Amino acid sequence: MTYLKPLPVKTTLNAPFWKGLSEHRFCVPRCKNCGDFNWIPYPACRTCLCEDQEWVTVSGDATVWSYSVVHRGPGAFDRETPYVVVLAKLAEHPRPCIVTSNLIDVAPASIKIGTPIKVVYEDIPEEDITLFRFAPA
Amino acid sequence: MPLLNRRAAIVGVYTTEQARRMKKSSFSLQLEALRGAVEDAGLTMSDVDGLCTMAGSDHLGVEGEGSARVAMAHQFWAAQLGGRPLSLVLHGAASAVLPKAAAAVSAGLADVVVMFYGKSGVQTGPAGTPMPIDRAPRVYEWSFAQSGAYMSTWYALWAQRYMHEFGVKREDLAEVAVFTRHHATLNPGSVMGSKGDITVDDVMSARPICEPLHLLDCSIDNDGGYAIVVASEEEARNCRHKPVWIIGGAEGYYTDFYATIDDPWFPKDGKAVRAAADKAFGLAGVSRDDIDVAGLYDCFTITTIRDLEEMGFCELGEGAAFVKEGHCRLGGKLPTNTDGGLLSNSHAGNPDGMPTIEVVRQLRGQCGARQVPDAKLGVSLSQGWAVHGVAGVLVMAAD
Repeated sequence: MTYLKPLPVKTTLNAPFWKGLSEHRFCVPRCKNCGDFNWIPYPACRTCLCEDQEWVTVSGDATVWSYSVVHRGPGAFDRETPYVVVLAKLAEHPRPCIVTSNLIDVAPASIKIGTPIKVVYEDIPEEDITLFRFAPA
Repeated sequence: MPLLNRRAAIVGVYTTEQARRMKKSSFSLQLEALRGAVEDAGLTMSDVDGLCTMAGSDHLGVEGEGSARVAMAHQFWAAQLGGRPLSLVLHGAASAVLPKAAAAVSAGLADVVVMFYGKSGVQTGPAGTPMPIDRAPRVYEWSFAQSGAYMSTWYALWAQRYMHEFGVKREDLAEVAVFTRHHATLNPGSVMGSKGDITVDDVMSARPICEPLHLLDCSIDNDGGYAIVVASEEEARNCRHKPVWIIGGAEGYYTDFYATIDDPWFPKDGKAVRAAADKAFGLAGVSRDDIDVAGLYDCFTITTIRDLEEMGFCELGEGAAFVKEGHCRLGGKLPTNTDGGLLSNSHAGNPDGMPTIEVVRQLRGQCGARQVPDAKLGVSLSQGWAVHGVAGVLVMAAD
């Protein structure tokens, strides 16, 4: 079944992130100067502007920071309603990483802010990409 | 460079018909609005020497952003208007760019600047995204489109988090829809006014869009155009209506387009809207209590509540109570969105200028059944590009 939902254009700058996903690892840049994580990946640390950052494989653990059950979807998403968009707060500190994604394998009525979730992966070999989502932990 | 230091005023405003599925093209609506506002001012097109475009202000009629498109839009319009050299190139969203237009006019960089917008033939919501046939569409690396999110989803995420942090319920948001619709019933040009008043129950039982937002928590999606003319003091004296002086204004922005979200999302000292409001009120030399009428960008019920808090009309977490106490209704201490707002008057693509236009009409005394008696001081707020990520505040005064 062809994947028809929007797919990201991968950039060279963030190649380590996409490579990590293909190996089922979720990587976030961490500043070598001040230790803050930065999400979304930025070319310089958003706390101290240091350009020297390293890609760190994080635990994949997170909690529901906010969510919305969507009943009308754009494009191919309209075939999947209701679906859940989640703002996931990663467990890592100090700078909070709020990651936008979908929350799957869950009954929408059971979701609460604070529900523990974790990163899960979806390989799409014909598109040469692995995507990530969240599911209840 | 010695600059002039003269006052600047809004001297012309115009709104086209606002309706669903209009036959006129985006370009035609923009042209109608441009000419209409200049005519409202009592000026002619040859008096115009500066243009302010917004996203989508081009002959292609397609929503889009990007520096090349912006440059094209000004050059396109300069040629379209006859090739007479224009003096000012500005781009931006209403209350955010009008202070800059006023500053430019005040300094003598231009005498008559027109900001304009118009849109038809494109739907703003999810129905406007076509179903792909055989290939996944490609989007920006971190685009929220990958998760099926869109504008309503973002305001829903915002509302969900806000309701959790401050113990606010859906019924509280519904009060915003109720008073705003009531204002629309007094505005014959509104899209929803003829449908009559709604109740909290109506809002609660409407179908869900992106929970916790249901249909009546969301602005409408229609077509239309508008324009605003800013001119110098000298020009203003010869215009048709009394000048609405721009006495303060500022813009603010802090975040990438829905990609970088900070925790906390609602800091006590506010973010872009608060920064712009403090600066604008400071320049104007007036306090929030002095305001007679407000136009606050209300794309969703949650937005009005957040607008009130970040503008400094009430404390953080108290926006819903402020609305429930009736302060935003005509007759209250801060009549807000007296035309019916984006929720019930009109939301055509980029409606950033609509709150300003209604405030101008209030200060001119043109609002008929919805007139705020003796309105002399008003404020408008434009916002967006990440739930309060970008803001513009404009303070206006009439003699």
